[in-house]
Amino acid sequence: MFMISSRKKWNNVTLLFPIILFLFLFFIIPLASLLLRSLTEPTFGLQNFEQLLATSTYVQVLFNTFLVATLVTVISLLIGFPLAWCITLMPKGWGRFLISIILLSMWTSLLARTYSWLVLLQSSGIINKTLMAIGIINQPLEMVHNLTGVIIGMSYIMVPFIVLPLQACMSAIDPMVLQAASICGASARTVFFRIFLPLCKPGLFSGALMVFVMSLGYYVTPALLGGVRDMMLPEFIVQQIQNFLNWGMASASAVLLILITLVLFYLYLKVQTDSPVSSNTGA
Amino acid sequence: MLLSHGSLGWKLKSSLYIITGVIAAFLALPIFFIMALSFGSSQWLVFPPPSWTLKWYERFFDNSQWIESAITSLQVASLTSIIATLLAIPASFALVRGQFRGRDYLYTFFTLPMVVPVVIIAVAVYGTFLNLGLTGTLFAFVASHVIIALPFAIISIINSLRLFDKSIEDAAVICGAHRIQAIIKVTFPAIKPGVISAALFSFLVSWDEVVISVMMASPNLQTLPVKMWSTLRQDLTPVIAVASTLLILLSLLIMIIASFVRKQSNHH
Amino acid sequence: MSLQTNTMTQSPLVCLRELNKEYGNFTAVDHINLDIRKGEFLTFLGSSGSGKSTTLSMIAGFETPTSGEILLNDASLINIPSHKRGIGMVFQHYSLFPHMSVRDNIGFPLDIRKVAKDERDKKVDEILQLVQLEAFADRRPSMLSGGQKQRVAIARALVYEPEILLMDEPLGALDKKLREDLQDELRLLHKRLGITIVYVTHDQDEAMRLSERIAIFKEGEIVGLGTGKDLYRKPPNAFVASFLGNSNFLKINVTGAASAQLDKHHIILDDLHVMPINQQALLMIRPENLQILTPEQAKNEALINGFNQISGTVNESVFLGESLTCSITIPSGEQLISKNIATEQPDLEPGSTVFIRWNSKHSSLYSKWEQSDINKNSAQ
Repeated sequence: MFMISSRKKWNNVTLLFPIILFLFLFFIIPLASLLLRSLTEPTFGLQNFEQLLATSTYVQVLFNTFLVATLVTVISLLIGFPLAWCITLMPKGWGRFLISIILLSMWTSLLARTYSWLVLLQSSGIINKTLMAIGIINQPLEMVHNLTGVIIGMSYIMVPFIVLPLQACMSAIDPMVLQAASICGASARTVFFRIFLPLCKPGLFSGALMVFVMSLGYYVTPALLGGVRDMMLPEFIVQQIQNFLNWGMASASAVLLILITLVLFYLYLKVQTDSPVSSNTGA
Repeated sequence: MLLSHGSLGWKLKSSLYIITGVIAAFLALPIFFIMALSFGSSQWLVFPPPSWTLKWYERFFDNSQWIESAITSLQVASLTSIIATLLAIPASFALVRGQFRGRDYLYTFFTLPMVVPVVIIAVAVYGTFLNLGLTGTLFAFVASHVIIALPFAIISIINSLRLFDKSIEDAAVICGAHRIQAIIKVTFPAIKPGVISAALFSFLVSWDEVVISVMMASPNLQTLPVKMWSTLRQDLTPVIAVASTLLILLSLLIMIIASFVRKQSNHH
Repeated sequence: MSLQTNTMTQSPLVCLRELNKEYGNFTAVDHINLDIRKGEFLTFLGSSGSGKSTTLSMIAGFETPTSGEILLNDASLINIPSHKRGIGMVFQHYSLFPHMSVRDNIGFPLDIRKVAKDERDKKVDEILQLVQLEAFADRRPSMLSGGQKQRVAIARALVYEPEILLMDEPLGALDKKLREDLQDELRLLHKRLGITIVYVTHDQDEAMRLSERIAIFKEGEIVGLGTGKDLYRKPPNAFVASFLGNSNFLKINVTGAASAQLDKHHIILDDLHVMPINQQALLMIRPENLQILTPEQAKNEALINGFNQISGTVNESVFLGESLTCSITIPSGEQLISKNIATEQPDLEPGSTVFIRWNSKHSSLYSKWEQSDINKNSAQ
């Protein structure tokens, strides 16, 4: 008996060997050496971090990054919440149709979607033209190559990441619980704020956290829709390497980005296990 | 009331449909917009276009750089898909069936490439491959793409393995099959949808990857998104709309196959 | 005080007038009329789809009637939303608020009513004591057993002292033993608080055990209303007879004011019947009202006045511990089921001839019935 079980364990570890080797060689070693470079280049010490915090550009970059991530999270929550609610409310077939639109948008080439927004938002683009035709504006709005463009494009890309977890959370809520609140004397408003919204909280929280983390590390959309002046952290890292070959600075920023990301990811895992909805379906 | 469609008043119901319609349009329209523009005659991407044309498609297919980058993309995505799936299958078995400690940590570790910002992975791998003189090779593309495809492959296979009742495999063993035989003949067909979607999503992740590819590329070897990227940074030519349309169509095709596979597995 | 309650029980608390609910072409509730008395325990009994839950939902305000009227203390409820009706309700799957502790769940209706904190806490503590959940006050619902959850749900519905408590199959999700315990608790609770309870169930035993009155629903109509005892002993129609307990049905020809023809036998009827003469009718006798006698017993014991006797052949007899059931074929080919206290019953071999006796006062007679009513016979 002991023989068999110990052999099985050995087998399982063998099965894991290829993937661990692969990730070690191509993921962990490169990542570790990148992070180490923040301390070793050009010489050993904390000089890169000191320089980072002393540079006003860098502070600006950090500010931009957090500003964009926050705004994108808020906007995609504002769009994602009603959409998730609609999907939950809609008759089954319609709901499924909407979900497939969301999945389609999510899995469609990021570059293609960003390009599309670039064209839509440009000063001669259809949005500006429509607004001018209606007479809301006289001059084309500057909506690309600045933070506005970044925020619009990224919010668009992030909406699915809010909707999917939130919708799953909403459809797990027992509608009878809301009826129960109503018969207890709660008006529709009170039911919404005291029962429905708190029950959506795990979905809202995990969706928002995911979007925030992803926004912090997003490169493609800000690089294309953003301007040169208002750079975000990922662009800064790439710029340090491609333009200035300054691996020390790039690594130090990478350390910062990865630290923030991992702390938030840890929070995300915590939120997911503590979900009150998953542990109680009522029945 | 807040969760049941039937009991809503017509006012609420109609505003519900309007909101949903607007947001669905917001999500879907940019995709169809760009596909329409690839047939528009305007160099400046005016919409609606003055007339319809296929000239941007001609330009795309006449340009060997576009064609070569598309072929490279297909090669890289196929190799990535195969390797990621082959690495993920044994790992998923070990994670689902294994009794060793720290399985949850390993699972988190394997999904870590999904969490770490792609730009950091790109820069890290770039740094290492640059030192080894590997950038600009097919190997570099595939190896770096496999890293970010692995989480998708593992999640998809683990999910289907979890749903599979292991006692069916045990039954095959009791019937006289060797464990390996039982896995091949009984377990594998049951988790095939999971494996196929692992392969499909790995393909899609690689097919669509920009940041890492930009770092790995050399003037001689680039993928379609890299070619698009470098062209985009110069101007907005409608040829990019053509390339985008091709990317979208392939994504769509893969999505359809994936949902078809999922439906098939639901019938079992 | 007691005098006042006495007079109060006479006036209806809730009146349903021609209440109707249609979904497209399907009539869920078909113009029902019902008075719910103050302080009574009334059960809506019926199989699924009989309209009992829809009626309850209309009282609660979750469904809007297609037509008809619901009156609470003579005031219409139709245009009053659920949350302003001041009704208490307990749901089948408890429907507790998963994100709140037991205490907050129970306190929720009081918070809504802006009850001062001291009073709220006092009331919550009292009701926690009433349902014996003081020790669980700070737990989340997910950490409670099914029975405990249901007690919380009851406490939440009672805490704001509603005039009427609606219960929609509240014990349906619990196992049998726990269900019976809670039924007893519930009956005692009702006696202690004197609150009006409208209870929905498909379980006839539960209805009998709990209620003072039972309304039996069939296809959106109330086909029987009365105490459990009355409905069981003198069912108003064949459906109620077969739905509530077991029953034997025999087709007879009424020949006189107190006489009828069963196959070739002449039998006597309860002389209170109002059937037209010379027509077919349906005779219903409960299994426990059939006496089974061996030929010797029949010879020794004279037939009492008002009793009938026919002969039959035993098919099978099953010993059930406290009782013995016996299936018997009578000369007309029909089958009867009898159920008697086992200690008084001789062993009956299959194939042996027996005599069946029953008191004509213990039989019911129907002039109209549907085949489907009778077929439900032992299915319940």
